[in-house]
Amino acid sequence: MATKPHTTYGTAAKSAGLGSREAKDIVYRELLNPHHATTYTPARFWVGLFFAAIFVPVVGGLFPVLGTMAGYGLEQISTAGWPKWLAGLWPVARPVIDGLLWVHLIVLFITVFSMFAVWMERKQSAHMQCRTGPMEVGYLDPTIFAFGKRWRVLAPFVGLWRKLFPKASPHGWLQTLADGLKLMAKEDLIPRGADVALFVLAPIIAFLGVFAAYAALPFHGAHFGIAADLDTAVYFIAAISSIEAIGVVMAGWGSNNKWSLLGGIRAATQMVSYELPLGISVLTAIVVAGTLSITEIVDLQYGTWLLGWNVFKSPFLCIAFVVFFVASLAECKRAPFDLPEAESELVSGYHTEYSSMRFSIFFLAEYAAMYVVAAFGVCLFLGGWYTGIGPLDAGMHQFQDFMWNQQGADPRWAIALAKGEVTTGQALSAYGFWNVVGVAALGSFVLIGKTMVLVFFQMAARWTYPRLRLDQIMYFCLKVLLPISLVALVGATVWELLSQGNVFFGLLGGHTHQHWHQAAAAAGAGG
Amino acid sequence: MTTVTTNRRGWFGNLFSVTKSLWAGLRVTMSYFVKPGTVITLQYPLQKDDLPDRHRGIHFLETEKCIMCWKCARACPVDCIDIEGTRDGEVDGAFQGKGVVMTRFTIDYSRCIFCNLCCEPCPEECIHMGQEFDYSAWDREGTVKSLLHNQVFDAGLKAKMLADRGDIKRLADDAAAAKKAKAEAAKKAKEAAAAKAAPPKADGATS
Repeated sequence: MATKPHTTYGTAAKSAGLGSREAKDIVYRELLNPHHATTYTPARFWVGLFFAAIFVPVVGGLFPVLGTMAGYGLEQISTAGWPKWLAGLWPVARPVIDGLLWVHLIVLFITVFSMFAVWMERKQSAHMQCRTGPMEVGYLDPTIFAFGKRWRVLAPFVGLWRKLFPKASPHGWLQTLADGLKLMAKEDLIPRGADVALFVLAPIIAFLGVFAAYAALPFHGAHFGIAADLDTAVYFIAAISSIEAIGVVMAGWGSNNKWSLLGGIRAATQMVSYELPLGISVLTAIVVAGTLSITEIVDLQYGTWLLGWNVFKSPFLCIAFVVFFVASLAECKRAPFDLPEAESELVSGYHTEYSSMRFSIFFLAEYAAMYVVAAFGVCLFLGGWYTGIGPLDAGMHQFQDFMWNQQGADPRWAIALAKGEVTTGQALSAYGFWNVVGVAALGSFVLIGKTMVLVFFQMAARWTYPRLRLDQIMYFCLKVLLPISLVALVGATVWELLSQGNVFFGLLGGHTHQHWHQAAAAAGAGG
Repeated sequence: MTTVTTNRRGWFGNLFSVTKSLWAGLRVTMSYFVKPGTVITLQYPLQKDDLPDRHRGIHFLETEKCIMCWKCARACPVDCIDIEGTRDGEVDGAFQGKGVVMTRFTIDYSRCIFCNLCCEPCPEECIHMGQEFDYSAWDREGTVKSLLHNQVFDAGLKAKMLADRGDIKRLADDAAAAKKAKAEAAKKAKEAAAAKAAPPKADGATS
């Protein structure tokens, strides 16, 4: 026994000049593990990231484009040959049909976005922490049904997907769907002693506040890119998205649970601190644009390539954008401002007692709010649907110019539009259906794409920074962000007055507001 | 509310240092994000981590070396090794060892304590603590694993065991033997084909 060691593990491999690790790797790869390619390689990662990046702009962009097509079509309908009563009813019925259509399109958009965003958050956070995130769900293998007796015929084909594509992995792209189905299958509980009315209403109100904000949120610049093009859209969005906090407080109070109550109180406390810098940074963009209409604010950012964007227009607007972004994290209760649902302190805060669909509606509201604040920020500061590429922007801008300033394609349509003889949809037929649709598709791709970039940074912030304490959050919002936003407001105002709307005092050439000032002057002269 | 005291840097200095630290934090996480090579998660059933070379998992038996001396079974403190055999010729499902026919070599893993005491007395160095650690079974009978035909270890696992134990030479020999056999078979087939095609002419030339 003593003459020979009782184990020779690894020694021969090492003396053979072949590290045992490499030897094992070879054996693993060639003999043991046909699926080894499910590991990440840089190439796979970047290709996956590319497709993930264009997924929501492409798929989500379909819905506003559909809305544009339908809205365009509805406006083409002429009531000329109709019976009188029906023709009289049409002006009432058309907006109702249009509105119902938009409701469904927005619900679909929110669903698609939320499902993707949850998956994206899981994958992104995983990669930020050297993990992989969900990897398995989504093989779309029909043989998953081979469990029941009836489907025994499928048994020989179990794992077909993997046999056909042994190196492919779905990277969990349907994980959110699976989780959602699981949530729906859960028992719906209302705790004893809960205030049932508040408990039931809370998720609805929380979601309602976010959902209503989508009504005034534009998707693209061609006509019908927005459910309701309000003159006070900015005010509307800022006001209605605060309703979410009421739902949260209701949930906290109605649950009859101390964790929930603390979460609700925190939500209310947090709201009074972040709303101020948020409102003032929004005000900065309004002051520069001189309008509350969000489509006009976006359109004023057209021109001079990237320098037309509010965020690049003056350093003060850049500061205002940073303040807006930070405050918007607090608005949608994302880390590092996720005090109301602090997992490590309050179980899960205001939705501790919620399960099943009620919980998933809260969850949906959170992700929908992420899109709202990000898209709001994109419209106010990052040039909305404008790409920053001159020729492309000019193509998108001509529609705005045509509708608002009666300039462009066919002057007869423009004149008729100005006189109010035709609807904007009819006037736009001067450009043709597919031209409008093309602009709509490009616009929504750009706007949603920019929004996804902001959402990416919202998630990056969540998975990087630790949660603030309640007193820290109030200090930060009231004593740091508020003074900064006030300085930005005054600075941006003075800058705007001194530069007369020119980009960097006209030093870099190009006037962002020229056409708008002309239009305003023309309107003034005409009136 | 407790007062948040700013540090001696003052308001602006504090703002600056916070911005700097936020940037530093984001740089760390983003650097991991853009480098998928930093992912350390293994897809467990498909990929397995390297265990230490001397990990004590399910035993690996080099059945052809075993002489059925029972030393391992006797050394076992929990009496979980069960060996049966005969010298009376072939038995169905048995293994032809060194001069004996082994009909049974099982280890009850619901009792095994992985103490390595079975491996130490083995005169033929044929039983080893392996790297396999998945002992799960649907019932108690399932925890009794037979090592006779390497039921636990398929061909791949056996090759891995050899690699683990540094038996690269044997791996290479196996591969070379397989290659040689293949080449010989190919050669034979070629010769046969050539013989089939050539014979009349060849006969004519020699005679």
